[in-house]
Amino acid sequence: MKRFDCLKAIAPHFKEELVVTNIGGVRHEWYSLRPHPGNYHLQNLGLASSVGLGLALALPHRKVIVFDGDGSLLLNLGSLATIANQHPKNLIHIVFDNECYESSRGAPTATAGMTDLAAMAKGAGFSHVASVSDAQQFETAFLEALKRNNLSFILAKVDPGIAKVPPATFDSQENKYMFVRYIEKTENVRILVSPPSRGSTS
Amino acid sequence: MKPKIAAEIVNALKESGVDFVATLTEANLHELVMLLAEDPAIQQVPVTREEEGIGICAGAYLGGKHPAMVMMNAGFLVSANGLATVCLHPGIPVLLIIGHNGGVGEENPGHATVGMLTEPLLQGMNIMYEKVGRLEEIRPAILDSQTLARSSRRPVAIVLNKEALR
Repeated sequence: MKRFDCLKAIAPHFKEELVVTNIGGVRHEWYSLRPHPGNYHLQNLGLASSVGLGLALALPHRKVIVFDGDGSLLLNLGSLATIANQHPKNLIHIVFDNECYESSRGAPTATAGMTDLAAMAKGAGFSHVASVSDAQQFETAFLEALKRNNLSFILAKVDPGIAKVPPATFDSQENKYMFVRYIEKTENVRILVSPPSRGSTS
Repeated sequence: MKPKIAAEIVNALKESGVDFVATLTEANLHELVMLLAEDPAIQQVPVTREEEGIGICAGAYLGGKHPAMVMMNAGFLVSANGLATVCLHPGIPVLLIIGHNGGVGEENPGHATVGMLTEPLLQGMNIMYEKVGRLEEIRPAILDSQTLARSSRRPVAIVLNKEALR
């Protein structure tokens, strides 16, 4: 199955969920399907799961979905242990496992060999782990996770390949401001504040 | 770390608005990490690797928290790419509380190289920092560093020397 078909299958189910994407093709694929200020597109390999955890802990009443990759998670395996121990009920950790470093011209990752990331998530302490290999199964696993209201891990075995979609046009700075302003508005909080003018009398 | 120093750091963090910490412990940080774990006013996440903590703190900031990362300088070296790509690049503030092994007063020869590289790395990454050791220096340094972190939207570091750590 293709990652883009998985994303297409679940995109209609999104409302106000917050999404953290890994660096690489998934960012552009997801943005083409769900352009939304609640998407945070990391320009970093490895920390998507950790940024998702921080967000889920800060906003326990909001659903947070992480679109991670095998190369990325292999760089930050300890995050599985941290996430499992924190056990945020509102976090869904999805790993699209194409068994290669797709954005780096496709050399194999450890999952092309002996490594099973779903087994590692289970071993780390995730109690709800699914491993799927077609888009229908993926959609079902995602909807179950959404309904479950408990920490969930979905390993989606996908073929390498990036869909032909227009690239997302904004950079990390603009993405941060869009995301933070969206959180400020929907959560009624102030994150980016400026001090009052020195001339202010109040 | 003396309990008095650890308590001063925790109180100053709370006064500065910090409500979320990621921590990776070390012998010198034990009292501080245990005190943070017990404090109901601060949400604490123990991490397995310091760079992971930088990602967690960045996510917490995006969700409206005021995060800090407590680690030793070896962990700061480990965190360099995460700080660059997740904090400095988009502009996300995280207060860094860094214990300085291998600085003046160090007895363990194993810490010398990491100790020597800590300040040049902070400078090379354009991360502003304050070096503190004496009890009375801690509160103002933490309050002012957090003010700068929030206004500049960048990580700012407190470097705790041997006087604070021992």
